Amino acid sequence: MITMRGVYALTGVVLAAAVYWFLLRSVPNPTPIQNFSAPFVYGHFRVPVNNPLSEEGVQLGRMLFYDPRLSGDNTVSCSTCHMQHLAFTDGKTRAVGVSGKTLEFNSMSLSNLMWGPRHFFWNGRAASLEEQALVPIQNLDEMNQDMDELLEELSADDTYPALFARAYGRISPENIAKAIASFERTLVSADSRYDSFLRGEIKLSSEEERGRKLFMAHPDVKVSLRGANCIDCHSQFLTSGFNAFYDGFTNNGLDEEASLQPGLQEVTGKRSDRGKFKVPTLRNIALTAPYMHDGRFATLDQVLDHYNEGISVSSTISPLILEADNGQANGVASDASLHLSEDEKRAIIAFLHTFTDQHFIAAEQFSNPFEQ
Amino acid sequence: MTRRRIVLLGATTSLGLAVSSFIYRSMQPAAIHLHFTAVVGNKVLVYDDHVYANPGGRGVFSVRDFQMYLSNIQLVGAAGTYSVPDSYHLARFDNGSNSYEILIDAVPRDTYSRVMLSIGLDQKANESIASVGDLDPNGRMAWNWEVGYKFVLFEGSLLVDGELRPLVYHVGFSENRRKLEFDLPEPALVWSSKGLAFEVDLAALFAGNQVIDMQALSNVKFDREDASLLANNYASMVSLWSTQ
Repeated sequence: MITMRGVYALTGVVLAAAVYWFLLRSVPNPTPIQNFSAPFVYGHFRVPVNNPLSEEGVQLGRMLFYDPRLSGDNTVSCSTCHMQHLAFTDGKTRAVGVSGKTLEFNSMSLSNLMWGPRHFFWNGRAASLEEQALVPIQNLDEMNQDMDELLEELSADDTYPALFARAYGRISPENIAKAIASFERTLVSADSRYDSFLRGEIKLSSEEERGRKLFMAHPDVKVSLRGANCIDCHSQFLTSGFNAFYDGFTNNGLDEEASLQPGLQEVTGKRSDRGKFKVPTLRNIALTAPYMHDGRFATLDQVLDHYNEGISVSSTISPLILEADNGQANGVASDASLHLSEDEKRAIIAFLHTFTDQHFIAAEQFSNPFEQ
Repeated sequence: MTRRRIVLLGATTSLGLAVSSFIYRSMQPAAIHLHFTAVVGNKVLVYDDHVYANPGGRGVFSVRDFQMYLSNIQLVGAAGTYSVPDSYHLARFDNGSNSYEILIDAVPRDTYSRVMLSIGLDQKANESIASVGDLDPNGRMAWNWEVGYKFVLFEGSLLVDGELRPLVYHVGFSENRRKLEFDLPEPALVWSSKGLAFEVDLAALFAGNQVIDMQALSNVKFDREDASLLANNYASMVSLWSTQ
């Protein structure tokens, strides 16, 4: 005879089984990433606890990164502005998306993103790569994609549902962001001539070595030390901005007070952060022209000329830029110049070329998976 | 067994368990806190405002950035000296509360009567590119790989007669490590929930052993005499302030 107790018990078992089945189905068990390594000199890196690097996540992220269906009219993918052969930049002064309008900022190179500043975009408005990834997709001028439509498109695809199921579970904006961020975290550039030098495998040419020493020194006339003070903002091995708090954001003397753009001030609300922008990595810098957040300099020569004799003084400019001088400094802020010689500028540019990583820009695992 | 006996037995057992757990816990290693608050002389530390008088000359100065390495924390107790492992701490105060806290886990229980710590780094750490504690060769305090780390970083500006002068004081070099010692008035204070409170006086950097005219000496970087001048000043920068 079936008692009520029996009915309750049976219902309980069925419910438990359903929950178990649902959990099994919705919590995939992806493969931890294999063969991933980074140089000792880059230091520790952190991956968000809720988005560990997995083979499936990275593979999915790579497809999404290169898939133009992420844009509203299916013409623009992340890779439109972040092209591998240009170290994931686009060669344009400022980015252009689906609207055809020239956008506000230069497309930033993507490499070694697990180190350096932990805030993304030129003004630091995204606190993680996951947060960053969804912004251009939905921006009207960049990719202009409606998120619900994108979820429908991906769900109707032959391959994406299974890929999502294996990597993260369901197709959702959060999981799209996780996948793209995972792929981006694998974009490690660490095989340039500078890296070979750091590993003790090669010597730099005498000009490159001279450039390295200038790059790595803040000048001090008192002890006859010449320097280009690059290291004051670009860390010695990563060559990116610093990772602590907003230390990786600076005002590098591009504009005078009246024309300072808000920059980091938009994020922190502090007047003292006006005109500060993210210090980018200099890895592959010879491939990523034009330069600065608004792409105002077409060549590295122009960049060096800016730092050497083109500084605009404002209230939030870095005191390290104002103070650095290889000549007879008079100590007054309004008179900022590095006083490097033409030879010294050339040597620094020669050193900057040692950051070019041919393996990075040719690596198959970073390339367009739809063109294989 | 009567109900009263059961209750009595239960109460005795619970009390016994509580007491032994308390004793057990009080013998186990525990965390301690070192709390540092930054001031400028008798004023509160504010950033980016020309409100502090140049101690040795004319004009007023502002603080834009201040960071310093504290290292090699040791606790001298009845049973011996406990050296905190990987003790490299980058102190900064630009957080709204002008304070910096060091949390040290798993400190062995002892009656500690003295705390020792250094401003700056030991030579081995200063010459290393390993990321230990807060040491970071890609960080802002890295000078470069041949010179080691800045121990104390002060950046700001001096306003004299309407003209701004950048101030850059980067003090490093292994010889400028300064070892500090503090006798604790009450040994138990190490274990108090609020921890040990220290004060860091930025003014001491320019008005300690030697009073500095920031206009005449507006930057200190690689000149060893200038660097040791500031190091002798910062040796008196930290004081055990209060334990409340």
